[in-house]
Amino acid sequence: MDLAYTLVFTVFPYLCLTTFVLGHAYRYVTDRYGWTARSSEFLEKKSLWAGSTLFHWGIILTFFGHAGGMLVPQRVFDFFGISAGAHMTVAYWSGLAVGVAAFVGILLLAWRRLTQPRVRVVTTVNDAVTVGALIVVSGLGIYNVVFGHYNVLYTLAPWIRGIVTFTPEPMLMREVPLSYKLHVTAAWALLGFSPFSRLVHIWSAPVYYLLRRPIVMRRLTQF
Amino acid sequence: MKISVQIAMVLNLDKCIGCHTCSIPCKNVWTNRPGAEYMWFNNVECKPGIGYPKQWEDQERHRGGWELENVHLRLKAGGRTHKALNIFHNPDLPTIDDYYEPWDYDYQRLIDSPRRRHQPSVRPRSQLTGEPMDPKWGPNWEDDLAGLAETGPGDPNFSGLEMDAYLQFRDVFMFWLPRLCEHCLNPACVASCPSGALYKRAEDGIVLVDQERCRGWRYCVSGCPYKKVYFNWRTGRAEKCILCYPRLEAGLPTLCAHSCVGRIRYLGVLLYDAERVTAAAATPDPRQIYPAHLDLLLDPRDAEVQRAARSQGIAENVLAAARHSPVNALIKEWRLALPLHPEFRTLPMVWYVPPLSPVASRVASEETVDALDRLRIPVAYLANLLTAGDEAPVRLALKRLGAMREFMRSRRVEGRDDTKLLDAVELDPDTVEKIYRLLALAPLAERFVLPTAPAVTDDGIFRRQGACGLGDAV
Repeated sequence: MDLAYTLVFTVFPYLCLTTFVLGHAYRYVTDRYGWTARSSEFLEKKSLWAGSTLFHWGIILTFFGHAGGMLVPQRVFDFFGISAGAHMTVAYWSGLAVGVAAFVGILLLAWRRLTQPRVRVVTTVNDAVTVGALIVVSGLGIYNVVFGHYNVLYTLAPWIRGIVTFTPEPMLMREVPLSYKLHVTAAWALLGFSPFSRLVHIWSAPVYYLLRRPIVMRRLTQF
Repeated sequence: MKISVQIAMVLNLDKCIGCHTCSIPCKNVWTNRPGAEYMWFNNVECKPGIGYPKQWEDQERHRGGWELENVHLRLKAGGRTHKALNIFHNPDLPTIDDYYEPWDYDYQRLIDSPRRRHQPSVRPRSQLTGEPMDPKWGPNWEDDLAGLAETGPGDPNFSGLEMDAYLQFRDVFMFWLPRLCEHCLNPACVASCPSGALYKRAEDGIVLVDQERCRGWRYCVSGCPYKKVYFNWRTGRAEKCILCYPRLEAGLPTLCAHSCVGRIRYLGVLLYDAERVTAAAATPDPRQIYPAHLDLLLDPRDAEVQRAARSQGIAENVLAAARHSPVNALIKEWRLALPLHPEFRTLPMVWYVPPLSPVASRVASEETVDALDRLRIPVAYLANLLTAGDEAPVRLALKRLGAMREFMRSRRVEGRDDTKLLDAVELDPDTVEKIYRLLALAPLAERFVLPTAPAVTDDGIFRRQGACGLGDAV
C-alpha cells in the first residue's frame, strides 16, 4: 500500500514535472516553428468569444487561486488573522466562480470544435486529447468544490508543498477522498503532456510587449 | 540626423491595365502552400470598389493603423492594455470570409468519369473543408466594376462626392490599384505584435515576420490598415509580402515588378531621416502628413547628406543607387507619385502615380482647373485615395503628366518646343524629357536601381569552389 502511494503521489508527480521541464526545452529547441496557440479565430469568430474569454480568464485565475491557497502554509494565513475556516470559505466561493467559468468555457470550446466544420478541419488528435484532459481536470475540480466539502489545508496542501520543495510525503494523501486524488493525478498528467501540445503558448505570454518600443528594427549585417 | 535606407516602389496607375500578371508569379512562388491559399501578397483591385479584404480602407470597421490621441500617436485598435485584455479574442480580426473562402476544382472527375450522355462537370470545392461550395466572393470579384451597384456605396473614397452620380452607367469610371505591403516607415503591424516577431530591416526597410518568433496572436493582421499581413490558418502564424528580399539582395527586382507587362513599376532606394519619422506620422492635420512624409526624404545628391550617410556606415553602392533612384525622382523631385492613404499615419513606402486615363487630349493648355475637372476619374476621389483629401498634390501630378504629353506631342508632331505649357507646371524641357523617358521608355536597368546586399564575409569562398564540401576539416 505504501509503495502504491509512493508511486502515485511521489514518483508520478516527479515524472510528470521532469517531462514538463525537459519537454518544453526539447520542444523549444527542436520545434520552434510549431510553438503557437494555432488560433482558429480567423476561421470562425462568433462562437469563439464566449468560450475563449471564459475559459482563459477562468483558468488563469484558477491557477493563481491554487498557487495562493495551497503553496502558502496555513500558519502564514493564521499570522495575518485569516483562520482556516475563513480561508476555506473564500477559497470555496472564489474557486467556484472562476472554476465554473473555466469549465463552462472549455465545454463551449469543445462544442465549437465538434460542431464548426472549419474548426474541425484544423483540429488534431493532440488537440482532442488536450481539450479532453482539460475537461477532466477542471470537471473534477468543480466536482470537488461542489460535492467534496473536504478541508485540504492540512493534508493535500502540505503534500503539494512537499512536492515543490523536494520533501515529498505521499502518506499525507491517505485521508484525501478519491475525487481529489483523481483531480491531482489528472492534473499532473496534463502538466506532463502540455509540452507536446498547443498549451506551450502559455509560456509565450507577451509580457515584454508591455515594455518594449513600438517599432522593432533589426540589423542583419554590419556595413 | 539618423539616415536610414528604404527600398521603395512606385506604380504608375496611368499605365496599369489590370491584367493581374503581377499577382501570378507572386502567388506561385510565395503563397502556393496549404493555409496560404487565400493569401495574395500582391493583388490588383478595381476601383471604385471595396477591395480585398472587404472594405479594408474603412478603419471605422477594421480599426487598423494609427490615430492621434491629443498629440501622441496610438494604435487605432488600442494600446498595450487593450491588447492584454483582449488577447484571447481579438475583436478587430477579420475572418477568412472577409477575404474569401478558397476553393479548387476536382479535375480528376473529368478523367475518371465513365461514358455518359452528358459531359462530366467539375464543381468548386472549399479548400478549407473539402465540401462542395458556391463561390460568392473572391480576391478580384469586383474586376471591371462587377457588382459595383451593390458594393460601390461601401467605398470610403467617395466621401464628399455625389456617389450616386458616379454609380450611373453614363458617369462611371474605373482604374486599377495593384496593392502589396507598403513596408511603412511607421508600421502599425510591427507596433501591434505582442511577440516582437515583426521587424523592419535596418538595411533596406523591408518589414518581415520572424516565423520562429510569431506566436499567432493575430494583432498584426488587424493592426495593418492596408490588411497586408495574412494569417496562415494551418500553421497558425502571420505571413506577409517580403518584397522578394532574396531577389533584392541579389540586385533583382521583385517578382511583381519584374513580371509587369505594362512596365508600370519602379524600384529604388530612398534615404530618409529616421529621427523625424514619429513626428511626421504625428502631424496633426491629416492633409499635412504627405508633405511631412516628403520632408523626411533626403536628397541623395546633397554633399552633406552623403557625408553623414558614409559616416553612419551606409555602403557606397547603396548611396550610388540612391543617387540614381527612379523612385526618388518620381516621388521627391517631380512630385508625380503619391502615397496610398497617408491618413493611416503609417508612412507607406509604395507610391502611386495617379491615373490620367482615359487619355485627354488637352489637360495642361486649357484654362487650368476646368480640364482636370472634366477628367473621367474625379480628382476628389483620387485625393481621398492618395492625399487624405487634399486635391492640390493630385492636381499638380495630373497637370504635370498632361503637360508632359502635350509638350512631347508639340515636339514630335509639330517640331517645336511649346515651353509655355511647362511654365504653368514649373518644369523645364530637360526634366520633361527625363520624365518622358522614365515613364514611357525606360528599360529594366533604369526602372529598377537596386544595390546588392553585402555578401557575408567569407574569404574562403573562391578557394572552396569545386572542393568536396567538408571544409577545412579534411
